[in-house]
Amino acid sequence: MRKGSKWSSIVVFALLLSVLLAACGSSSSSSTSSGSSSGATKTVTNLMGTAPDYLDPGLGYTTQAAEPDWISYTGLVTYAHAKGAPGTKLIPGVAESLPQISADGKTYTFTLRKGLVYSNGKPVKASDFAYTIQRSMKLNWGGKSFFTGNIVGAEAFDGGKAKSISGIESDDTSGKITIHLVAPYGAFANVLAFPSAGLVPTGTAVSNLSNKPPPGVGPYMITNVVPNQSFSAVKNPYWAKEEIPGIPAGHVNINAKIVTNTQAEAEQVLTNSADVFDWADTLPSSILQQVQSQASERYAKEPTVSTFYFFLNTKNKPFSSQKVREAVAYALDRRALSRLDSGFLAPACFFLPVGMIGHPTGSCPFGDPSGAPNLTKAKKLITESGMAGTSVTVWGETREPRREYVDYFASVLNSIGLKANEKIIADATYFSTIGNLKLNPQAGFADWNQDFPNPSDFYLLLDAKSIQSTNNQNFGQVNDPHIQSELAELNKVPSTKLESVASRWQALDEYVAKKAYTAVYGYEDDPKFMSNRINFGSAIFHPVYGNDWTSWQLK
Amino acid sequence: MARFVIRRVSSMIAVLFAISVLTFLIFQAIPNGDPALRLAGRLATPQTIQDVRRQWGFDKPLYVQYFKTMGKIIDGQVISYQQQQNVEDEIAHDLPVTISLAVGSAVIWLVIGIIFGVLSAVRAGQWLDRLLTVIAMFGVSMPVFFLAALLDYYLGYKWGLFPIGGYVKLTSNPWGWLTHLILPWASIVALSVGVYSRVLRSNVLDTLGEDYVRTARAKGLSERRVLLHHVLRNSLVPIVSLWGLDLAALFGGATLLTESVFNLHGVGQYAAESIGHLDVPPILVITMLTAFFVVVFSALTDIVYAALDPRIRLTG
Repeated sequence: MRKGSKWSSIVVFALLLSVLLAACGSSSSSSTSSGSSSGATKTVTNLMGTAPDYLDPGLGYTTQAAEPDWISYTGLVTYAHAKGAPGTKLIPGVAESLPQISADGKTYTFTLRKGLVYSNGKPVKASDFAYTIQRSMKLNWGGKSFFTGNIVGAEAFDGGKAKSISGIESDDTSGKITIHLVAPYGAFANVLAFPSAGLVPTGTAVSNLSNKPPPGVGPYMITNVVPNQSFSAVKNPYWAKEEIPGIPAGHVNINAKIVTNTQAEAEQVLTNSADVFDWADTLPSSILQQVQSQASERYAKEPTVSTFYFFLNTKNKPFSSQKVREAVAYALDRRALSRLDSGFLAPACFFLPVGMIGHPTGSCPFGDPSGAPNLTKAKKLITESGMAGTSVTVWGETREPRREYVDYFASVLNSIGLKANEKIIADATYFSTIGNLKLNPQAGFADWNQDFPNPSDFYLLLDAKSIQSTNNQNFGQVNDPHIQSELAELNKVPSTKLESVASRWQALDEYVAKKAYTAVYGYEDDPKFMSNRINFGSAIFHPVYGNDWTSWQLK
Repeated sequence: MARFVIRRVSSMIAVLFAISVLTFLIFQAIPNGDPALRLAGRLATPQTIQDVRRQWGFDKPLYVQYFKTMGKIIDGQVISYQQQQNVEDEIAHDLPVTISLAVGSAVIWLVIGIIFGVLSAVRAGQWLDRLLTVIAMFGVSMPVFFLAALLDYYLGYKWGLFPIGGYVKLTSNPWGWLTHLILPWASIVALSVGVYSRVLRSNVLDTLGEDYVRTARAKGLSERRVLLHHVLRNSLVPIVSLWGLDLAALFGGATLLTESVFNLHGVGQYAAESIGHLDVPPILVITMLTAFFVVVFSALTDIVYAALDPRIRLTG
């Protein structure tokens, strides 16, 4: 009996310890509580498969960060809150109007709207813009090269040689802001629409404020941050209904929760215990059919402006031969690749995706991408090229279905007479590995999602000027004089006048397809999937930022 | 006792130092694992990468980097590369989840494992033994992540008996805390019950054949008293050792798969995400935490040993 009591004591002690320790710490909140009322404003539960990299606008760069930051930190310009092509249109943000651009394309002038206040009630000043840009540069924002490479004096500021950016002038009295560029860069207005250029007050700490994001100008503000677990986007009390024309005030507060298990994420939305599925996640094939059959009225496939392709090293054998590159284009069965992504990949052949100005409307040069491949022709081309039997290392990352894409690609290369082997590496090091010029990778997986709706953002990947020793993004080392001369002209055209050069971009993209510099195989679709509490029809899927949280409303 | 404590503390310091050096070096050896490349972003210029390298001290010799990181860990100031969050704050935030999961499941599997093991041994060869053997084999052969996914799918999503993942604080809603943890506990318990019950069955059967058990019976003690006071007490010694180490591993993140499936946001899930991003500071802290728990629980196990078997002395 005595020993029995001792043993029981150990068990009771362990249980008590468990309860005590579990009680004393803070922890994550429930994932099951769905939409609830919070005062007058209702709340919806938005699930995110991946946490935003940073909620501080000065650091955030991923799509997950852009979603909440876009509606909480408005820059001088922003995008229209609309779906499809109208959503790619730049509209004035905290500036009164779109920029006045000098004839040489090197000076952008804005005037700040009057009477604007931050989400803490303090007035917005013109000089806050320069502070915002300098802050994000000091924080090493992932896209800071857009600033250092374009704004006069930004590089000197970044290198510690200047105390401020000489190319940004502002006058708090008149609200005038002038930005001087090193050279004309047509997409610069798009750069200013990044949430990272969304104004924060002068004096905001130059440190990662993701746990307590700084005040901003926008219909929402980010609060209650539990890193990697949850945060809230609540309506900004200082945002009047028509504070900035074209930026809606929003209807609900949003409780964002990070759910890394995509299956559980989909199940919660399907059972209406959460409201929104993360569009950047893939709906698992195990639940896709149920979603399509049980929730067809609240599920849709939305095209995204992205290109999936295999890069081909044009500097080295065998892909230095155009015939070999053409053979690859003929041999790829893009329908098979689409099946590997549960049908979420629309077969394609052009580098500029649907939804991007300059996307060609004509037929593909090497057969219908939605049709059967032409293996006979491909094999013949390989024989003619004299490259049959050449060894090729195909690079890929572990993430599903990207590894499967590479498996398939290697099998295709083998089937047409090359000798392919795979090298699969961790996702975290993949792009930095293949971006190392010394490695000289022969072929492999690559993709691009637009940073902004401007074809120059995609052509950065085929621009010879992008070839660099580390972090090279022109993986195929494409260096074509025609592309370079066209880019030299087209990159100067301001975003607001892109339509005027659409046919020229189109011609350039058709030229690239004919040269088969890359083996493009598709554009990704993403799921728009919501609970039956949300008014699905009025919810906007934005072409740049995915789900537009300001458009969500309860039925 | 003092000698025991001193020896254990000094061995713990040595283990933590060795583990931290090894972990740090392993991540330095990964090809293209340079954190500056990831911190600078995909579009960074070589100059920006160089700036980041200098700013974060990645250009310093390895030993300097190591001691600087360890200094920050000791000061509680170490931040992750991936999101620049204070690692120890994150772990402190996640630890209650892992403790709830680990201690709860460890207690359940121990209790059930002992019941199953003893019943199997005393009914050896009979239908109950065979049934418990089948259950144990099922638990052992079922991968944790698969069982967790099945439980989540059928009991959570399909039949709606339990919440679909997530965690609720004990202090905010005790019932919610319990209901959110039942499925995660079950998925861990299934595996360990199988192992513990088989080990205990074997130990009990061996002990039942010992001379002192025959003597106890000859003295006229009841079968229940013989079983509980003479057989079970001696059979539990290896189980205690196993339990201590398993519990320590659970604290240190061995709950990774279960936490990920049920989206609990505990230390295990944090470890998994950090490994995916090759984020050295959190991995370093979690590895050291695991080692710490293993050493501490190993010491506690020795103390329990001594309680169970007076012949064992705490000599370190």
